[in-house]
Amino acid sequence: VNDIRSSPKKLPRDFHAKAELHKTQRVVSVCQMYFLDYYCDMFDYVISRRQRTKKVLEYLSQQGDLKSPDQLNGEWTGYLEKEHEILRKRRLKPKNKDFE
Amino acid sequence: MSFLQNFHLSPGQTIRSTRGFRWNTDSNKDVDSTRSSPKRSRDDRSGLVGTQPNAQNLDTQLWVTPTRSGNTLPELQQRQTQREANVVTDFNYTPSHQKQFLQPTAGTAVSSHQDLKQIVEITLGSEGVLNQAVKLPRGEDENEWMAVHCVDFYNQINMLYGTITEFCSPQSCPRMIATNEYEYLWSFHKGESPVAVSAPKYVECLMKWCQEQFDDESIFPAKTSGQFPQKFIQRFVIPMLRRLFRVYAHIYCHHFNEVLELNLQTVLNTSFRHFCLFSQEFELLKPSDFGPLLELVMELRDR
Repeated sequence: VNDIRSSPKKLPRDFHAKAELHKTQRVVSVCQMYFLDYYCDMFDYVISRRQRTKKVLEYLSQQGDLKSPDQLNGEWTGYLEKEHEILRKRRLKPKNKDFE
Repeated sequence: MSFLQNFHLSPGQTIRSTRGFRWNTDSNKDVDSTRSSPKRSRDDRSGLVGTQPNAQNLDTQLWVTPTRSGNTLPELQQRQTQREANVVTDFNYTPSHQKQFLQPTAGTAVSSHQDLKQIVEITLGSEGVLNQAVKLPRGEDENEWMAVHCVDFYNQINMLYGTITEFCSPQSCPRMIATNEYEYLWSFHKGESPVAVSAPKYVECLMKWCQEQFDDESIFPAKTSGQFPQKFIQRFVIPMLRRLFRVYAHIYCHHFNEVLELNLQTVLNTSFRHFCLFSQEFELLKPSDFGPLLELVMELRDR
């Protein structure tokens, strides 16, 4: 009873029959794979984006003595635009209709 | 403007009992009266099952866990222990203030609020990782960050709900409810009052509605040059998240047993926790938007 997974639960009468259907098994594994893939990809994006930003900021601070503030701002904005485009493409990647 | 309405009733009141819930009436306070009143049973279950002459048999069938056939001995033993303990734990999420209205029926008792803790404990133990991941990247446009997450949560909910479509039918869930306090209605035509629909119908309408907005260039621009509309967050992001939340609410309150059995609880909890952290980070949803899951949200937050 202490283990939530081995406890008796209220389930619809035909639960097990439905759960064993090939169709159900398939959507369950697709769902698990989807989430695994999503979170790997999402964390990968967040981490690598931070690393890129860090590098750009380091580079810009090194250039601080050589370039004018306007130039530096321009380069920073240019970098952000590129990142913005990457982010937008992530939203648009055609994954919505891949799964039912 | 809001197409949907939720009825926030005080604990004493209730909407029509639909699935697995009992009327919050005084006559129902007594366990035995529930059991011995076939009329009540029929009222409660109308629409769920056809007319059954034997009300008690119906009770047992509905509330007792169906066990896999095959190994009869363990099954018998299990039944025995079950009857002895006379306890079936319902892990479908129920806010604690509603517990008193759920009457133990034959072979059924709702656990003390342990299940809430358990639900929270089986979340991916990724401490702080999700909290960090929802933060706006340095220099990024807030609208774009919102838009990406709207699409992500839409996809996640689509996947999650997809796994229980076999179990969430117009028969099992004739109304889009979350606990017996909340019912979500759908408005098909602007200006007309929203109507009660079945849970699968509601989710279908909701997903179509989201998809239409994603496809609208003037709301979710696809071109690099495309701009977000004025007040994008207030006008589009918040309403969408408020409605997407309701699917989580329905799953937690009415299909968590199935989710557990399919071993998808970690996925569901992670997704919901991510959703909560995101809306918390940008203060998108109010406590009242979390209605039936407010307690669960608090647990997740304090974690």
